[in-house]
Amino acid sequence: MRRTWAFLSLLLAVSLVLAGCPAPVMTPAAAPAATEAPAQETAPAGEPIKIGALYGVTGGMSSIDGPGLNGFKLAAKQINEAGGINGRMVEVIAIDGKSDQTATTSATTELIEVHKVVAIGGLNDSTFALAAGPIAQAAGIPFVTAGATLPTLPEQIGDYFFMAPFGDDAQAYAIADYAFNELGARSAYMLVDQAYDFTTALARFFKERWEANGGTIVLEDTYNSGDTDFSAQIARVKALDPQPDVLFISAIPNEAGITTKQFREAGLTQPIISGDGFDTPLIAEVAGELADDVYYSTHASLDNEAEIVQSFVAAYEAEYGRRPENAFAALGYDTMNLIADAIRRAGSTEPAAIRDALAATQGFQGVTGVISYPEGQRKPIKSVTIIRVQDGVYSFVTEIQP
Amino acid sequence: MSRAMEGVRRVNINGATRNLLVGCAYVALLATLLWLAQSTLNNYYLRILAVIGINIILTVSLNLTNGFAGDFSLGIAAFMSIGAYTAALLSLPVAMKTASFPGLPAWLQTTSIPFLPATIVGGAMAAAAAVVVGVPVLRLRGHYLAVATLGLMVIVRVIANNWQDVTRGARGINGIPPLSNIWWAFGWAALTIYVVWMVVHSPYGRAMIAIREDWLAAQARGVNVLRTRLLAFVLSAFFAGVAGSLYAHLITAITPSSFSFVITFNIVVMLVVGGMGSITGSVIGAVLLTLLPEGLRQVETALAAGGTPLYGLSQIVIALLAALVMIFRRQGLLGGREIRLPGMTER
Amino acid sequence: MFTPTYVAQQIINGVNLGSMYALIAIGLTMVYGLLRLINFAHGDLLMLGAYLGLLLVSATFMPLILTLFIPMLVIGFLGILVERLAYRPLRGAPEVTMLITSLAVSSIIENSMVMTVTAQPRAFNLPAGVNRLHTVAGVSFSTLDALTVGLSVALMAALTLYVRNTRTGIAMRAAAENLRAARLMGIDINRVVMVAFFLGSMLAAAAGWLWAAKYSTVEPFMGFLPGLKAFVAAVIGGIGVIPGAVLGGYLLGFAEIFFVGFLPPAFSGYRDAFVFALLLLILLIRPNGILGASTEERA
Repeated sequence: MRRTWAFLSLLLAVSLVLAGCPAPVMTPAAAPAATEAPAQETAPAGEPIKIGALYGVTGGMSSIDGPGLNGFKLAAKQINEAGGINGRMVEVIAIDGKSDQTATTSATTELIEVHKVVAIGGLNDSTFALAAGPIAQAAGIPFVTAGATLPTLPEQIGDYFFMAPFGDDAQAYAIADYAFNELGARSAYMLVDQAYDFTTALARFFKERWEANGGTIVLEDTYNSGDTDFSAQIARVKALDPQPDVLFISAIPNEAGITTKQFREAGLTQPIISGDGFDTPLIAEVAGELADDVYYSTHASLDNEAEIVQSFVAAYEAEYGRRPENAFAALGYDTMNLIADAIRRAGSTEPAAIRDALAATQGFQGVTGVISYPEGQRKPIKSVTIIRVQDGVYSFVTEIQP
Repeated sequence: MSRAMEGVRRVNINGATRNLLVGCAYVALLATLLWLAQSTLNNYYLRILAVIGINIILTVSLNLTNGFAGDFSLGIAAFMSIGAYTAALLSLPVAMKTASFPGLPAWLQTTSIPFLPATIVGGAMAAAAAVVVGVPVLRLRGHYLAVATLGLMVIVRVIANNWQDVTRGARGINGIPPLSNIWWAFGWAALTIYVVWMVVHSPYGRAMIAIREDWLAAQARGVNVLRTRLLAFVLSAFFAGVAGSLYAHLITAITPSSFSFVITFNIVVMLVVGGMGSITGSVIGAVLLTLLPEGLRQVETALAAGGTPLYGLSQIVIALLAALVMIFRRQGLLGGREIRLPGMTER
Repeated sequence: MFTPTYVAQQIINGVNLGSMYALIAIGLTMVYGLLRLINFAHGDLLMLGAYLGLLLVSATFMPLILTLFIPMLVIGFLGILVERLAYRPLRGAPEVTMLITSLAVSSIIENSMVMTVTAQPRAFNLPAGVNRLHTVAGVSFSTLDALTVGLSVALMAALTLYVRNTRTGIAMRAAAENLRAARLMGIDINRVVMVAFFLGSMLAAAAGWLWAAKYSTVEPFMGFLPGLKAFVAAVIGGIGVIPGAVLGGYLLGFAEIFFVGFLPPAFSGYRDAFVFALLLLILLIRPNGILGASTEERA
């Protein structure tokens, strides 16, 4: 019994030290920006501006959130190299939300209460944004979601919540219009992942616009993310007579390549259309030359010749030794810069002032397009990029203004 | 004869009164501590405390099935999910329901009830589900129950994903009033501990332990094996449902995937590390294994700020720790014993 | 709507999926039969096998068959290592203890992979010929599908012969029947368990390679669901019995495909719920699975 007690007290002591006193582990001075910014010595004195980065770097969201955080940190590094914001360095406090709602909400309060950040950016899925957003809202800390595209998020959460990306409505309308007007399609087949808020919302908006345009939906089928076998669904499409003009697949990146490959292998040759869930190199990598006639709407094209895009791609490659994995890297990058831009214009690090400056954002030039918040809205009007995959090669097709 | 009886009874009453007084003292102590926490700690620590309270409820109640009755249930996530959805649907403001749940039955759409009754109904629904599942499944023992309850989790998740009118599918329910706090969490935790303690020290509890040790012998001695195990299973599900409600009102946004295998895994680890068959062990397991990952995450964050991101480290350390405890102290930290609080007598 | 070709196509799809479930289930059922351990790390060995296969397929010019056999060998030994480090110290411990340990091993493997190779899904591509589509009487299948079924059947036949006829195989069956009696008969249990882990992990790696080839992607969490479903398959067939695992695997594969294929699309989303409902149903009718012998596990 005595040994048990000794062991228990030791464990308790260790965990209390770890959990209870973050101070000795990470005082601001100990969290060094020193390695990052040679300009630091010449920069005016002053505490660094603390900005929270909240991403699910491990767990289910990690393939999307990992690149997102990389983009976010890259932007902060560049800001510091250029002398900081209004002469003060930026310190990014990045906490792993573990793709878990409890951990994400704890991390949000930790950022606000312990690290005293002035603004938070991150999260690419509305499930987590809806859990974290209200906490920041209640504390009066601006929160910019980097990639959660549920269009109603800002209304649902409140006036401290901003979206860096367009809403699912915009991207679904864009691809519906493109398929209807440019591809001349009139009948569509829909395959929808039931497991995500994002995929079901995208499908809902697509159907709404498609039918409003006068198109028909010939068959609506579903699956759950994690399914890797679509042969049953495919057999059902093949049994359709007449065949649909386009195949709309609402999937997350993990399933984008597999669905494309399996549909093409089964001999279905119609154009495949989707939203930013298809923005992944996996389509070409998995489907190879079968990746033909795939069109999707997304935030940015890394092939876009615009200087801002190309310099981002180059900087990302230089920093991490690989090209940006997906558009979420660019969105993370834009999110950090968007927050920095607001702080610069506010001339203050008061959260309320930053919020007001964010709300007044007009014509912010990001990698993923121009961000402006219309009066009273916190969802940007942004152009939607349409990308085409042909013979395994991605190419920029057009930009659509919703 | 009758004098002797009276003597015995008086001693009992005295013991009971004493226990009641001591119990009141502990409740007062808990309330004081909570009040102290409330007035000195910031929201981050209060949130962690609330999570600890919820985890205590889950671990202690799971102990009833897994520790005392000797069954192995992995159904926590399923029961939490049922409790969370039920309670959230009941407590949501009417205005929000009409906006977000057009498909809901009219009577539900126009009702909104306070947190406490909503939580109780949530627990009751989870318990009802446990009865429906338990009656057939508890005919099986050992790993079959584990697999069946795991299956229940998948079934509940898939239903929640597809039953659009009530659950809104993958969109989930959000804007749930943030009513959970340390008072509710620890109030329910105290109640859970009390109820489980009472059950374990009642004839039912003895029957459970008898079944765990040797069900055939227990049955031969006249213990109704199925009914006893069902009681443990259903009671455990009730508190899991309650915890689900507390969770929903803490996180304020739930989706079908909120209640995943990860939660079940974490709670089972808390239980086993604390020591199955020990209530105090469960409490200690829940406290330690809520604080430790949180602390390790602070280390991760600090490391990342220092330029060496090692995200994922905390999960690995926790898993390693669990494995090491299993290998070197397989009975868990307390090994089925209880730490007796001063003043408590043996019942 | 359900033309003969449509039905035939679905049958082919079912055989395909079932073959992979069967391969995975065999390893789980052998280990369960000996140690009463639900090895949650089994799916992660599958994942590691797929990653190793990817490494070999993309980085070298070795013959295709070697990119399959090398991972099988390596993962087989890795399975032995896991057993040695994590499970052997627990021999004789309550089932729960081992189950927790296997969950812990699974978590360690998955998170280590996320930390080292990141969670980015990677494409797993085979030479174009392997994916060539053949159409016979309106029913189409790829070379890979044929390979999957052929290889699975060959591996399962080899395993069955091994377990039936070799001394170790007989010892393994004896130990699964009654561990204590087997030990008293002078059977080296550690050796038997080691062989079971080796063979099971090998088959898991093969399944991982085929799974990755069929679905063209590998990612750190890819093993969890197949592992879980394969365990369901093993339970359905009768856990602890190798032919039971095979039968359960094929049954589950067919059931899944038919459920999605022959019911209205609105039900497709319920696929996994259906799998587990089926499991519950079979457990209620035959608690020991279809081929399982009656054991003391029933109450």
